[in-house]
Amino acid sequence: MHDRQTISLDSLRARRGDDAAGRLFLALITGAVLLAFLMVGAVGVDVVAESWDLLSNRLWGFLTSPSSADAGRAGVSQGIRGSILIAGIVILTFPIGIGAAIYLEEYANDTWVARLIQVTVRNLAGVPSIVYGLLGLAVFVNGLQGITGGRSVIAAGLAIAVLVLPIVIITSAEAIRAVPAPLREGAYGLGATQWEVIQSQVLPAAMPGILTGTVLGIARALGEAAPLLVIGAVGFYTTGNQDFVEQLRGAFSALPMNIATFAREPAETWRGHAAAASVVLLVLVFLINLVAIVVRARISKRLGR
Amino acid sequence: MGVTAPTAGVVSVPSLASRAVGATLELVVFIVIAAAFGVIDYYLDAVTGGLGVSAFWISFWAMAIWSAWCWPAAQRFASSFSGNHIAMLDGRPASTVTIAAREFTRAGLLYGLPLLAIETNVVPVLVLMALAGVFISRTAGRRAPWDLLAGTIVVEDFGGPATMIERSEVSSVADLQLDELRNRRNAVARRVVLSLGFTSVVVSVLIVWNIFSEAAEFFSAEDFSWSSLQGIGWFPRRGIFDVWTLFIGTLWITGIAIALAGPVGLGVAFYLSEYASPRVRQIIKPIIETLASIPSVVLGLFALSFITPQVLQPLDDSIGFASLLAAGLGVGILTVPIIASISEDAMRAVPTELREASYGLGGRRVTTSLRVVFPAALSGISAAFIVGISRAIGETMVVFIAAGGSGGAVLEYDVRQEGQTFTAAMASLGAGTDSVAGVGIAFQSLYALGALLFVITLMLNVLSDTIVRRFRQVY
Amino acid sequence: MEYPDTRSEDTPEHTEDEATVTSMIDTTALTPQSVGDDGSSTAPLDGRDVFTVEGLNVFYGDHHAVSEVDLTVKEREITAFIGPSGCGKSTVLRCFNRMNDLIDIARVDGTVRYHGVDLYDESVDPVAVRRRIGMVFQKPNPFPKSIYDNVAYGPRVGGQRGNLDDVVERSLRSAGLWDEVKDRLGESALGMSGGQQQRLCIARAIAVNPDVLLMDEPCSALDPIATGVIEELMKEIQSDYTIIIVTHNMQQAARVSDRTAFFTAEIDERSGQRRGKLVEFDETGTIFSNPGDERTEAYVTGRFG
Repeated sequence: MHDRQTISLDSLRARRGDDAAGRLFLALITGAVLLAFLMVGAVGVDVVAESWDLLSNRLWGFLTSPSSADAGRAGVSQGIRGSILIAGIVILTFPIGIGAAIYLEEYANDTWVARLIQVTVRNLAGVPSIVYGLLGLAVFVNGLQGITGGRSVIAAGLAIAVLVLPIVIITSAEAIRAVPAPLREGAYGLGATQWEVIQSQVLPAAMPGILTGTVLGIARALGEAAPLLVIGAVGFYTTGNQDFVEQLRGAFSALPMNIATFAREPAETWRGHAAAASVVLLVLVFLINLVAIVVRARISKRLGR
Repeated sequence: MGVTAPTAGVVSVPSLASRAVGATLELVVFIVIAAAFGVIDYYLDAVTGGLGVSAFWISFWAMAIWSAWCWPAAQRFASSFSGNHIAMLDGRPASTVTIAAREFTRAGLLYGLPLLAIETNVVPVLVLMALAGVFISRTAGRRAPWDLLAGTIVVEDFGGPATMIERSEVSSVADLQLDELRNRRNAVARRVVLSLGFTSVVVSVLIVWNIFSEAAEFFSAEDFSWSSLQGIGWFPRRGIFDVWTLFIGTLWITGIAIALAGPVGLGVAFYLSEYASPRVRQIIKPIIETLASIPSVVLGLFALSFITPQVLQPLDDSIGFASLLAAGLGVGILTVPIIASISEDAMRAVPTELREASYGLGGRRVTTSLRVVFPAALSGISAAFIVGISRAIGETMVVFIAAGGSGGAVLEYDVRQEGQTFTAAMASLGAGTDSVAGVGIAFQSLYALGALLFVITLMLNVLSDTIVRRFRQVY
Repeated sequence: MEYPDTRSEDTPEHTEDEATVTSMIDTTALTPQSVGDDGSSTAPLDGRDVFTVEGLNVFYGDHHAVSEVDLTVKEREITAFIGPSGCGKSTVLRCFNRMNDLIDIARVDGTVRYHGVDLYDESVDPVAVRRRIGMVFQKPNPFPKSIYDNVAYGPRVGGQRGNLDDVVERSLRSAGLWDEVKDRLGESALGMSGGQQQRLCIARAIAVNPDVLLMDEPCSALDPIATGVIEELMKEIQSDYTIIIVTHNMQQAARVSDRTAFFTAEIDERSGQRRGKLVEFDETGTIFSNPGDERTEAYVTGRFG
């Protein structure tokens, strides 16, 4: 036994040697966190800095002119249009994802079908985006050429919609699962059919989570470039006298494509354009996230959470 | 928002949300009509030279007229049975002319302006719409723009006051039946939802079948020989398919990425899970999520415009404009949030009791973190790394932009030079002009690579799932 | 139909009962309702049978949860199920409105007849059953909507068109909640106190005008005052509804019920699982003052449970 008299404040206080490991570890992981912050900061600052010149001088022109060989006139208007169209097509397919999530969480009874769907969805979520480009090329560009018109924004939108589908399914399913059981029981107890319970209680309660999923999907859709490369987005195109439908089925561009094309130009002059296009893309994604956060907060408030 | 308690005789207002759903359904109808016209236009084109007018504008006019006339007329017809009258949102009754004008305006805003935007130039029209929205909200109230979009017509409940449901006698099984309509709706909903669930399976099947059949064509093509898989580099258009080149490139990229993202991601995870207070967490988590949401093209640009000149070239000026090293670091930045969040989830899932036991025995935080939490969460952390690797292997744009070697690539072991990965090779192939025809062995090599990539990432994902399931410490 | 005001004038008895709610096992407080000395006639009606249960067995997968229950519930009576935890009271209760259907692995054997009709007949639709046999749950589960919408939910889902103001008011009056909420019907139901929420759930159940009200430990999440209010409520609405209540609190059963069923749990020797059994079912007075089975006696005198 230790001699009680030797216990002093000194021996209770951690000795410096002991704590060195602890402090080193803390320093390391704090360093990791700081490095992560630095990464975000560096990307943000670099993009803004490189684009400052262009955006402060020629913002309107940049946003409203199509791309061109002349750096002084090149802009991203066609890219913006293409990205918005793609986002629109993707949004149209969200009900499919939400429906699949409803099936998995409400109707499926642990049968082989349900498990197959779940496994499939999880695997699809991990497939590289360029593979979806290949799919789009084969199915939407070549196979459904009659409807999509070949290498068009419709084909691109559909391919990216397929890419985003697993994300929407997984997040929606989580949101639906999180709806508390007493809510469902209460509705069933009052004599509602399964669909009525889903439509009037479960879905509204799961809305915040589903909204998050859809926003993640849109943000992802806007940023994806690899499938676009394969499906054939171009940097610049002319529309001539094409009407709206022909335009939809013809050549197209998108913001990520603009960024990639500008970035690969060896000449220094294009660096600013690439950065500026990145800023436009980031602002777009940011705005969408903002809208979703606001809507989600208001819905949550109404649900009392 | 939500239903306010109505008093007798005044309009009962459905919530903004349900009206928004109605407006969305209208939009879907609009698109369907437009698509129908589009298809008609396509086929008529072959016969008579087309309709001459854009299909979307036809459907726009159709919807506007429908909104302006049909909807109020339908409501009037229905309301004539109940003796109620149509009212606007503010409760005042409305004449047909007022309703028509309002709905026409609404159709114009909802369908026409976006159409205009897309056909001409998006940004100016969007700015105009935003200004119009601000103007309306200033003059007619904050909710006015949203109400306008969602629909201004409101109808009183049909049928007057309702009475308590009758209690009827139950004498046989027939009395305990559900009415047809609700039953049918339930059954239909179930079938629809099931088929929607199946689409994911369909998609999977499509991907697999597609890729592997085209890949098979590659291997069975006439000008293919197994010897062409070995060569000086990856030059598909010249018939040289040295897969090893791509493999080395992919390996380097993935290795560099994990070397960066592994420690950083794990460090962040430890900090968030073991050391950070809730307030600090609230700051750090969004930053990590922001990192995760940066599109990969932007990171590719970043690698080129910042990492190469500011980080790499000062260290070693033999590094050129594009290099595997720069791209690898870019992919690493991309992978940090993946490893961080999955590892953090795994660590947080370790029950507090284990930590308390360790602290109770006099362990410090570092000891607990490394000796208790880390082993307990090991399966999840391994899964995090495997998912990170899978992501790094599948990453295309950063490499496409920052690693060079688009036309072809020479076998290269030096990371400071340009290189090529599976994914970037596929992108280059797909984007090249000779892929228009979609034929040729060069093009089919695209699918061969795709098949390989698909199999590799699939195996990695299955592996990570198995690890999590099999080796998860049972608490 | 007259909708009685839930606050009756002559209630010295009730205040006394509120005070005894917190008293521990005290046999003098167990004044069975049938020997009521508050002047109101509470002799059990020998009315029609509403439910006839024969040989009821409930299985959750392989677990035999409830075995061989036979009992009869009479019209316009309050029947109480009492017994220690885990003896299947709630499970049996949920058989009466087919709520066990919602659990995948649940299986019900035996017959449950409602006015002579077999509830588990293949062609019976559970949704129709639940409209006639309502349920109030242990933890109040109001929907995250307004008070009005909560009460109006049942009728709306059941297809009632038109203005539900009247229905809502009458239901809230029956539940004794009208005066407290009539000025804030549009506010969220989640802002009410626990006792109010539970009364809202009762109003909600009443709004579809059911024949029977099943109450699964409705007061166990509430404080003693709120409990007393709900017990009063039950006695008031007894003249319009047949009520079956599951309760942990045997004094409550003694206070409100006409008949009482005592359940207990047996441990199966082979599997070690708990299986619920009905021990005794009789008029409340008999159960509490002169029980036939020694297990019942042990429970009601507090020797166990």
